[in-house]
Amino acid sequence: MKPSHDRALRAVQNGTIRTASLLVPSLKRSDWRCEWQAELWHVRHSLCEAGAPSWLAQREVTAFCLGSLRDAWCLRRESRPPHQPQPRISGAAGQCLLRLCTLLAVCVVLASLLPGVEAERDPARFQVNTGVILIQTSASGDQFEPTIAPAFYRDWKGTRQRYFDDFAFYRTVHETALLDSRRAPWSVAHASPNLFSLLGLQLPFDPISVADMALFPALILSHDAWRREFAYDPAVAGRVIRVGNRSARIAGVMPYGMWRLPETPDAWLLEPDSLLAHASPRTRGYLVAHLSPLGQDWMQGGWVSIAVRGADFDDPQFYGVSFAGRLRGPWGIYQFSLILALLALPAVTSVTLGESNYSSHRPSRKRAIVRWAFLLSKFVLVAAIAYYASLDLAWGNSSNYSSLAEFAQLVWAFTICLFGFRWALADQRQRCPVCLRRVTHPARVGLASRTFLGWNGTEMICTGGHTLLHVPSLPTSWFGGQRWMYLDASWEFLFADSGAC
Amino acid sequence: MAAEARLSHTAAMILQAISAGYVYGFSIMEMTGLPSGTVYPAMRRLERDDLIRSQWEKQSIADAEQRPPRKYYRLTADGKATLEASRKRYPLLERLISTEEANSL
Repeated sequence: MKPSHDRALRAVQNGTIRTASLLVPSLKRSDWRCEWQAELWHVRHSLCEAGAPSWLAQREVTAFCLGSLRDAWCLRRESRPPHQPQPRISGAAGQCLLRLCTLLAVCVVLASLLPGVEAERDPARFQVNTGVILIQTSASGDQFEPTIAPAFYRDWKGTRQRYFDDFAFYRTVHETALLDSRRAPWSVAHASPNLFSLLGLQLPFDPISVADMALFPALILSHDAWRREFAYDPAVAGRVIRVGNRSARIAGVMPYGMWRLPETPDAWLLEPDSLLAHASPRTRGYLVAHLSPLGQDWMQGGWVSIAVRGADFDDPQFYGVSFAGRLRGPWGIYQFSLILALLALPAVTSVTLGESNYSSHRPSRKRAIVRWAFLLSKFVLVAAIAYYASLDLAWGNSSNYSSLAEFAQLVWAFTICLFGFRWALADQRQRCPVCLRRVTHPARVGLASRTFLGWNGTEMICTGGHTLLHVPSLPTSWFGGQRWMYLDASWEFLFADSGAC
Repeated sequence: MAAEARLSHTAAMILQAISAGYVYGFSIMEMTGLPSGTVYPAMRRLERDDLIRSQWEKQSIADAEQRPPRKYYRLTADGKATLEASRKRYPLLERLISTEEANSL
């Protein structure tokens, strides 16, 4: 079991006991929690004694923790004074928030378990140095294409530049890798040795020092190839394998989600510049450059135009394009979709809460504040669920940057926010302003044919006996929206749990 | 005596386990094979009915062994009498959890 999975499960187990302790009466809570936490320590110690915990051991520990919920519930039930009617909690505000919190917890736990989401949420992992650009023949920052011949890289690298500090190059080739007498078709990026240092990617190993560049060039495996071809073998570094027509020494594995540049190779082969530049003149690759301070001043937004003086009066035009679009992380996409959802909300539902009422009796100021706080809590929880759920759905199985995954995140976040907020408002409209329970027992009132003589619609009642909700089936000029009618104390004898709120 | 009459087989097993020397929740679970969601609520009821009594271990003992202190349970006089009656009612109880087995551990 991976340490991240172990940490996530430990968090779930501790969270279960903490959540269960909320059910225990406050006088006994501290003692109860101490006992369960001590027992949990001993259970873990007993079941996970032999080094790393297995899935089976974790399952038993989790089953043990789930027992705390039953214990807490029994304790709560028994500590209730006799002959006191049990308050009805069906449709209560706390239950609604608890469900949303549970859903959020599930999404958060999933996000911590899915490697793609973890990589996406850590922007430091894939950030490149400032001033790093990709040089190509198009100014588009959305579609990167290999357009640079290796000869250009050789010429530019060999001449003194005003606007650039350094250059790196890579081109992707489909080659066959020979792995223990097994052949695997790989996409291999032949790269200059300074590619990763120019980008500023913090690899956990130094690929240059571990390889003899003349004899065995360094090969860096992608996380996906490491999983697929080597089954997460921790001793893979140092092995010599044959890729194409040469042998290479595996220097290490690229950390998950670190590579954000165009193409998704299975491995990066670091070759000396002399070998790289002598590839066929028809091949094309990606030229990565680091702008000097003077060059950075010339950047216009996300791109800069580069004019090259050709030998035969044919001056080719190039563009230096920033990677900013690929490095923005999921938070920016989420914020955009959240704003979109808030703007679109009035189009799918009425944003008013139907506050009109036709009685002088009104709930206290404290009740009104609690009601607004409840609505705000629902909005915040829905927004948080939308963030984590959209990450889980879009990036769950993505090992690299993908514009499709970004689009999926945008769509999921927008959809969940929009319909979640719509539900939050609709739910709020049907909750009693006094006790926040949903009104029930709908009854038809009036006749549609007599609309001009009296209202017709649906009447619902709060089970606590605080309010009646009148919803017109046909809005008229004198009865446009729903109305609350507050019931006074004379109704209380009809309701068993009117004091429960 | 009302407690004796109400004592279920599960509660009797737990009383027998405590009597046999399994004095904290997890050891009782391991001995009886019952899940935590059954053992702990049953122990709370037994404690409420004054059949068992709980006591926290001294912090110094736990500190010396670098672990959190445990809550230990022991039978009260009523608990012993109830267990005696339960043994007559469930004759196989002593064979399931024998005192000798616990002492040998």
